[in-house]
Amino acid sequence: MTETILAVDRVTKRFPGVVANDAVSVDIRRGEIHCVLGENGAGKTTLADILYGVYRPDEGTVTFRGEPLELHTPGDAIAAGIGMVHQHFELVPPMSVVENVVIGTSASQWLDLSEVRGRLNEFFHNYDVEIDPDAEVGRLSVGEQQWVEIFKTLYFGVEILILDEPTAVLTPQGVQELFRILRRMRDEGLTIILITHKLKEVMELSDRVTVLRLGKVVGTVNTADVEMRDLAQMMVGREVLFQFDKDRSDPGEPVVEVDEIHLASVTGRGSLKGLSLTVCAGEVVGLAGVSGNGQNALFDALVGVEKPSSGAIRIGGVDTADLSANRIGQLGVASVPADRIAQGLLMDFRVKENLVLGRHRSRPFSRAGVLNRGAIDGFAAESIEGFDIRTPSSSQPTRTLSGGNLQKVIMARELSGEPKLLVAHQPTRGLDISASEYVRRRLLEERDRGAGVLLMSEDLDEIFQLSDRIAVIYDGRIVSETTPEQADLQSLGLSMAGADTVEAGPAA
Amino acid sequence: MTDQAPSELQTPDGGRRRDPLSMLFQSGAWRFEKRLVVRPWHEFVTLVAALVVAVGIIAGLVLFIGKSPADSFAALYNGAFGTRESTLETLVQATPLILTGLAAAIAFRAGVWNIGGEGQFFAGVMGTWFVYDLWGGLPAPLLFVLMFIFAAIAGAAWASVASGLLVRYGTNEILTTVMLNFVILYILSYLLAGPWQSPDTFYYQTVRMADTTYLPRFVTGSRLHWGFAIALIAALVVYWLIRRTALGYEIRGIGSNVVASRYKGIRVGTVTLATMAISGALAGIAGAGELLGLHHRVQLDIAEGIGFTGIIIALVARLHPLGVIVAAILFGALVNGSTAMQYETGIPKALVFVIEGTTLALVLIAAMVSRYRIRKAG
Repeated sequence: MTETILAVDRVTKRFPGVVANDAVSVDIRRGEIHCVLGENGAGKTTLADILYGVYRPDEGTVTFRGEPLELHTPGDAIAAGIGMVHQHFELVPPMSVVENVVIGTSASQWLDLSEVRGRLNEFFHNYDVEIDPDAEVGRLSVGEQQWVEIFKTLYFGVEILILDEPTAVLTPQGVQELFRILRRMRDEGLTIILITHKLKEVMELSDRVTVLRLGKVVGTVNTADVEMRDLAQMMVGREVLFQFDKDRSDPGEPVVEVDEIHLASVTGRGSLKGLSLTVCAGEVVGLAGVSGNGQNALFDALVGVEKPSSGAIRIGGVDTADLSANRIGQLGVASVPADRIAQGLLMDFRVKENLVLGRHRSRPFSRAGVLNRGAIDGFAAESIEGFDIRTPSSSQPTRTLSGGNLQKVIMARELSGEPKLLVAHQPTRGLDISASEYVRRRLLEERDRGAGVLLMSEDLDEIFQLSDRIAVIYDGRIVSETTPEQADLQSLGLSMAGADTVEAGPAA
Repeated sequence: MTDQAPSELQTPDGGRRRDPLSMLFQSGAWRFEKRLVVRPWHEFVTLVAALVVAVGIIAGLVLFIGKSPADSFAALYNGAFGTRESTLETLVQATPLILTGLAAAIAFRAGVWNIGGEGQFFAGVMGTWFVYDLWGGLPAPLLFVLMFIFAAIAGAAWASVASGLLVRYGTNEILTTVMLNFVILYILSYLLAGPWQSPDTFYYQTVRMADTTYLPRFVTGSRLHWGFAIALIAALVVYWLIRRTALGYEIRGIGSNVVASRYKGIRVGTVTLATMAISGALAGIAGAGELLGLHHRVQLDIAEGIGFTGIIIALVARLHPLGVIVAAILFGALVNGSTAMQYETGIPKALVFVIEGTTLALVLIAAMVSRYRIRKAG
């Protein structure tokens, strides 16, 4: 277990203006799960890309099984025995699982699919994964698609498997399933390198962990020897607050009353089936639930892009049934969408333009339909300052910003109007510790200012940390309500899994 | 969150590994990498390179048919810009192209694929004739205003058939705009064979319009008419509309991300309808300008593909309203110069279409290539 299989020795990789990896040295031992931990921009992915042949190091060497490793392409890496599963899957959705596995193999023109199918079945059976090798990949769940990616890589017979942020797309159950199987693979001799910024995962899964900060190795430690707090400090370079000191809330009038709404989603998954919920001024209501139980439909109904087929939503007492999304925004509803790039931002626009999206027709940003550039520039400067958005200028194309800064752009935009109701859907998903901390603090500030905050999150820690009340959504309904003081993880988890419902329908 | 490594900065919108070009060119010592920010000069350099390659390909073609490329290009250039007269004639050719180019550019900015510029051009011609036919006796200034307004309305209305179907039923606008081109051509054929046909001829055409309706010309001895000024003003107005107005913001918004636009309260349907109406109106004005400035009678071949060439011009100009002026003059020069080339060197005028197509293909390739850089690996 102590034999070094892969040695990275003082590897440096520069990009224009940035040293992504600065004399990074790491030893990976055979048969271990080794986490590479760091905040966004710490150089984790660059390091993985070097090991996978996407980049070549400017300086330094990589030694694999005692031999120097010279990679020009990912193909070389696979041939050498190093495979990687990316954050964004590289699958062909209309093709079957088997077909996806054989794509990219240099097998002869005449493929024996039945042999591949047999081996896949063996794999799946061996690891208790239920996937039909002939199923169309596009129809599989995200978790299942990840399995296909992993098995596709293992099919090449690699000795080292690199996983880049594998849990970003998974539900809590999916994460547990993944970890169970990764542990088994490790026990069978596979070496696993896991790129992540999630401390809990590191603590739970890894044997050893290497922490990167700003391109440099802060240290490599045995996971068993450290606490989460230590790792956080290594990663961020300062102490991290895991607990917010928040005052007791002082709820006022209801800002939103959702009354028995039904809303069929297009896909049929995650429809609302008579959901009722109230959020009052000055409180954070945490909506816990496994994704796909109606959170998206509720978000759409609250911001007004979809209209419930029955039931009512009242914002500050006003029925929104006949109001446009624009009008609902004017009533004081602000929203932070789950997918900030797809739903929240115009990536081709300048930062300053995104900061006024939705208010671009209101004074002072436009008059008689003509944009007031002075007002927009002034507001942008103020927001960039006030929300600490890291961008060279307000005219920067939005797509060049990092995830945390993109979220700050959205927060700055949504909070600037002093909303009555803030609907935040997965506001810290994919963000690193500092950015998450910042977003959470802002949410509490909004509460203290007197806004009602509806926090939809799959991160139960986040829900516990921020909420004054907790509601559990399951199959399009609120199935239980509690407070962080009264709730325990166990019963909340059962609620989320549908144990409180009479008809035990599947958590679609 | 400072000091982002480029590789991680890129992941939010899909990541570099998905790019076909970088997949193709990964091996060896050089490789393609996607640029994070495409600077104007990157685009300019690749654009110039594309044009140089286009010239090279066309020179090869000319050689292939046994002529001298140097002589042909000289003839082409002289035909387009050799004399004051030929330069002015190039601008005459560019005039309608500026307008149909703008029509395509503004629609494409909104992500609405209006391929119906040709049909909307016809609608403008018909709207102009309609006014002349009905109120031809009105005093000239009022008549001009009415004719242009009706041309714009007709073009807008014809475009709105497609956008109405798109907004109401989600009908693909590419299909409907293309098909509506044929519909209006056949409506015009019917009118020219019947109610509008000139009584003194068997050709499918109207009578010649009274010369009080001729658009004034800038210089004697040249056909350059006021339509050119109208086109330039239209380009400035479209530029201002797109960059400086709330509607323009929304047009670019739905073109950039229709989902986020909808979430933030932009009425996507309304903006789509407005965009298509403006687009159709621009093509319609192009039709009025050609009828009143050059042809003075309605004929079936009045459009000559001007609506379609506008699409190419919009793409070559990267959908920039002021770029459209430059691209339209370039294409106007090709049309104009090719006539001179034909009678001086015997190279068929149709070569222009090859040039147009080659240029478009190369410019589109250039647009993609400018988003990448070549780096020495390792």
